Amino acid sequence: MPTVESILSGLAEDRATGSLRLGKAGVLYLTDGRVTYAEAPSCPRVEDLLTASGRISVYAVRQARQAADEERWGGDRLIERGVLTRGELEFCVLSAVLDAVFFLFRASGVRPRFRPGERHWLGPQWYFDVTGLVRECRRRRVQLDQAWPSTELDTLPVVPLGRIPAQRVMLTSLQWEVLVGTDSTATPAELARKLGRPAYSVLLAVRQLAAAGLLRLPEPAPGPPAGEAPPDPPPEPPPALPARPPSGTLPRRAGVAQKVPERVADPSQPPDWLPQATGDPADVSLLIRLRNALEALA
Amino acid sequence: MLGIEECLTEVMAIPGALDAILIDQTSGMAVGVGGGSRHVDVEKSAAGLSETLRATLDGLAAASPTGAVRINDMIVTTDSGHHLLRPLETIFDGPLVIYVRLDLERSNLALARHRLQSLSGQLITT
Repeated sequence: MPTVESILSGLAEDRATGSLRLGKAGVLYLTDGRVTYAEAPSCPRVEDLLTASGRISVYAVRQARQAADEERWGGDRLIERGVLTRGELEFCVLSAVLDAVFFLFRASGVRPRFRPGERHWLGPQWYFDVTGLVRECRRRRVQLDQAWPSTELDTLPVVPLGRIPAQRVMLTSLQWEVLVGTDSTATPAELARKLGRPAYSVLLAVRQLAAAGLLRLPEPAPGPPAGEAPPDPPPEPPPALPARPPSGTLPRRAGVAQKVPERVADPSQPPDWLPQATGDPADVSLLIRLRNALEALA
Repeated sequence: MLGIEECLTEVMAIPGALDAILIDQTSGMAVGVGGGSRHVDVEKSAAGLSETLRATLDGLAAASPTGAVRINDMIVTTDSGHHLLRPLETIFDGPLVIYVRLDLERSNLALARHRLQSLSGQLITT
């Protein structure tokens, strides 16, 4: 199955104009083989970013959208109303497109359909080369992983800790917005919509907050389903089961909840199947050499 | 009112301007480059500059009595010129940063700073 990237590259070579619909994942618009707009349901659209900031009313956006035509696109109409500068609109489109593309390129299992000639009402405000988009997405992925190399919080509600392990923290303005804006049930994508900030920026802020140890991490055991995680006390583990099930019934499956406390019952004591830990420098240097060799293999 | 490209053209018209880049601070991406810039690797420069600004914000926040900081502009002078960075608050995303490098001999720092201020007001109105 061709990837979104390869389809886009083909369309770029043909200098195609139209929309590439990726099912539920979203849609990309091309003008002469270059991407001019993109939307994904998990990312705020240009109109969401503009109206959430209070700069433009929903009504003004609807008017510009309805009046948009080939001669004067909706984006130009918004600028003419004097509610925002061309630079602001361009940067807003740029943010929204890069944001959506970041999530669209990860879409899988979709059946892409190209509709020639279909245009977005904003009109082309900024042109992106497909290769540039691919490169930028890769860079953003690396940046996310550098902030905190785990996807476990990406789709869970953002729950700040009531008391943090640090004595003092320094926050960026977006990290502040995330902490103040979360109601402990909103996921990063929902927060982005609520705050009117790009989903990628919010995701990055959430990962940075997690790396700083300011967010509650999910339980390692099979926790409650995502989205319903209660902010306060984690569910009590079920009372200890009888060691032997009553005869005649099928043996109960051993839940992970039973196994985990057993394994971490006394972390200070190493299990007896491991050799005794030593501080012998020969052992340490052997381990370092072993690690270096493994890293060289990877 | 200016668009991104026109703004960069205007920045390059500042006397003594050697390079100009517009940077998205959140991702460290180069949004645009001033025509005539002799930058070999714009992406690397943009990433490095946004890191420079981030580190400065962190350092100044730690040094400030309140712990909070807001940079209006930042000027660093090196052997290769004066480097001006001006973060612009946007209404929907992290700051957009205008960067310009100025010739040590042929530039007027006060004038450049003033021009950058007025250009940023035409690019983004807050």
